[in-house]
Amino acid sequence: MSDRPLAKAGLQSERVLWPERGPGVFEREVAELEDALLLTTMEKAVAWARSSSVWPDTFGLACCAIEMMSIVSSRYDIARFGMERFSSSPRQADLLIVSGRVTHKMAPAIRQVYDQMLEPKWVIAMGACASSGGMFNNYTILQGVDKIIPVDIHVPGCPPRPEALIEGIVRLHEKIRAGVPPAYEIRGVAE
Amino acid sequence: MPGVVESREALGETTLVVDPARLVDACLHLRDEDGFNVLSDVTATDYLGWGEQGVAGYIGTGSGRDLNEPGSQGLAHVPSPKPKRFSVSYHLLRVSDDPARVRVQVWLDDGESVATVVPVWPAADWFEREAWDMLGVRFDGHPNLVRILMPEDWEGHPLRKDYPLGGEPVRFSDED
Amino acid sequence: MAIVPSTRIYEGTRIPQRVPTILDVDPRKHDPGDILRVNFGPNHPSTHGVLRLIVDLDGEAIAGIEAVIGYLHTGFEKTMEQKSWWKSVTYPARIDYLGFHANELEYVLAVEKLLGIEVPRRATWARMCLAELNRIHSHLVWLGTSALEIGAISMFWYAFDDRDAVLDLFELAGGARFHTRYVQAGGLAEDLPPGFTGETRKFCEAMPRSVDEYEAILDKQKIWLERTKGIGLLSAEDALALGQSGPVLRASGVDWDLRRNMPYLAYDEVAFDVPVYANGDVYDRYKVRMDEMRESVRIVEQCCDRLDEMEGEPWIADDRKVVLPPRHELQTSMESLIYHFKIVTEGYRVPEGEVYVVIESPRGEAGCYVVSDGGARPWRVSFRAPSFAALQATATAVQGSLVADMVAVAASLDFLMGDTDR
Repeated sequence: MSDRPLAKAGLQSERVLWPERGPGVFEREVAELEDALLLTTMEKAVAWARSSSVWPDTFGLACCAIEMMSIVSSRYDIARFGMERFSSSPRQADLLIVSGRVTHKMAPAIRQVYDQMLEPKWVIAMGACASSGGMFNNYTILQGVDKIIPVDIHVPGCPPRPEALIEGIVRLHEKIRAGVPPAYEIRGVAE
Repeated sequence: MPGVVESREALGETTLVVDPARLVDACLHLRDEDGFNVLSDVTATDYLGWGEQGVAGYIGTGSGRDLNEPGSQGLAHVPSPKPKRFSVSYHLLRVSDDPARVRVQVWLDDGESVATVVPVWPAADWFEREAWDMLGVRFDGHPNLVRILMPEDWEGHPLRKDYPLGGEPVRFSDED
Repeated sequence: MAIVPSTRIYEGTRIPQRVPTILDVDPRKHDPGDILRVNFGPNHPSTHGVLRLIVDLDGEAIAGIEAVIGYLHTGFEKTMEQKSWWKSVTYPARIDYLGFHANELEYVLAVEKLLGIEVPRRATWARMCLAELNRIHSHLVWLGTSALEIGAISMFWYAFDDRDAVLDLFELAGGARFHTRYVQAGGLAEDLPPGFTGETRKFCEAMPRSVDEYEAILDKQKIWLERTKGIGLLSAEDALALGQSGPVLRASGVDWDLRRNMPYLAYDEVAFDVPVYANGDVYDRYKVRMDEMRESVRIVEQCCDRLDEMEGEPWIADDRKVVLPPRHELQTSMESLIYHFKIVTEGYRVPEGEVYVVIESPRGEAGCYVVSDGGARPWRVSFRAPSFAALQATATAVQGSLVADMVAVAASLDFLMGDTDR
């Protein structure tokens, strides 16, 4: 049983209240990666600091943006994670939450915003449209934003509930703290 | 009223079919004499392929099947033919103590154009641009007829019936 | 007051003459050498979505403006042509994503008009109740985000707190906070759960106090008044010529509300007032929306009373060719099984015709033009988006403003890019 917050909270990754289930796939893999990566204390401290103040970029596109705004509201407060400071300038943002459907017209703009962010940077594809094109499989919607930028966490839903997005954010924090490198180091970024 | 070719009433709505060459006269008459001061919508429709496939099976209506009505016995029912390929419908609204709506319709073939109604109602600006962008209907005299929703260098008019839906084939996880 | 007032906000017309939606730099007022062309967006701090404004600035004054849209064009209309009538109801909610219920409603009302089907009154009143709750939701999000953009940052948290209360009611009724897909041709997808009216009444008691709180914070606040009074003027004639509707039109003095002047659903059986203000500036649009929230609470209370009376009545029409039969009938009746099979596999067919149905969405006049060829799929679906028209008014309303006022004007016109681009 890992000592990750999600596993300790008893929230297994399949979101089903089965008390006798062990840690879910996510917690096990993160625990295995953490053992494999063997971070030094210094690196662990840096990872903890990085995960505790991830500043998102104000990248709301469509309906998911409204649910993204609602995680800032007082009921689903993300200020407890240190993330309430949404940065409009990509230069000062750590996390790009792509919330909404991405059109071919908008794709160069997203790519430019992503390029303007400074390393380390993470991307959450929020919602079905950002993850895979969603219910729109047509001439104008990019079928998944991971075709143009590397994505760390996909959050399913149409739109995902604020709790679902926060779950995605918490998983991102656990990945960061385990030492998992951001997606651009794993998947590579086109120059 | 100038230019009216046909006037239909259906489902509580009035449709005035107008000769495209006299559209602006008709619209000015409607705005100034009949008081239709608001242009609600300009919509173009592509009828390519209309009526080529018969519709079989019973039609869902609240009144039930009429056994004397062809098409209710599993025979193919073909919808009534349209005069030309494109229709442009202008939905007008009268904001006054006597509110009313009316639809003005013009019929065009591919390549034909119709005069713009921007001088009559400035609200038509973007609506006509959208009709041009999506369906390729030209509006003569429009001050800025460029693409509005698609990127500027897009080729083709997406809402036409011969333009494919696009998208990607979806692969499922247990397929090869 | 008469529908169109006789007092004028400004003389003549301010609609740009060359292209109504592009404000060109006037060489008599601004030296072309002083002009700086700045690109706002498509990604920018404002919360309206992916709008790109190309602004010509003379110092801080706006000399020219042009809006570029299409960054969220989703191809709803083409996609809905490929889906059956039943399945395509999932799509309209995503167009105007704050007024999701209004969009579903206008499409389903159009389909029902073509079908000629009669909707039971419990469904009509429930739809009306949810439509007004949707209006409250949309205005609360508008208030939170617009105040945030203008600088009253704490309004965001106040407004979103109440908004979560409204979404709880939607979740109770429709199962999801957002995009409930609760309306269906013939009525509602499911009956309202027991206890819905009780929860809604509790919300209606608390809501007017919240609106009082917001007005206490903003109404007489000096900075708010400086930033909203006299900004973004739009006269009644210009507003009508530009096809404006909804709160923007009512703030310019035009006494026009589709719910009262051309009623649909059961709006002629409820008592409510229509707020109209005469100054045509950002402050009046704000006041119209605040008053509309109060009026919506009144309507919701009346709906709750009537819904309690109609307890136990059917919530969907009985026409088996359009509506799925109740599940228990599938075990006993052969015809019901056939109807169920036909509807789920083929979908119902809608008689040939064309129809244009307009409702008063939170943003104004939202319409749906549907053409049917008698088949199982729509031939053409077109949505009249109120935000599309509202955005056209930017070039007119922003004249004589500074850059900071442009943000306030854009916020007050209340457009959503999902609605604009469809």
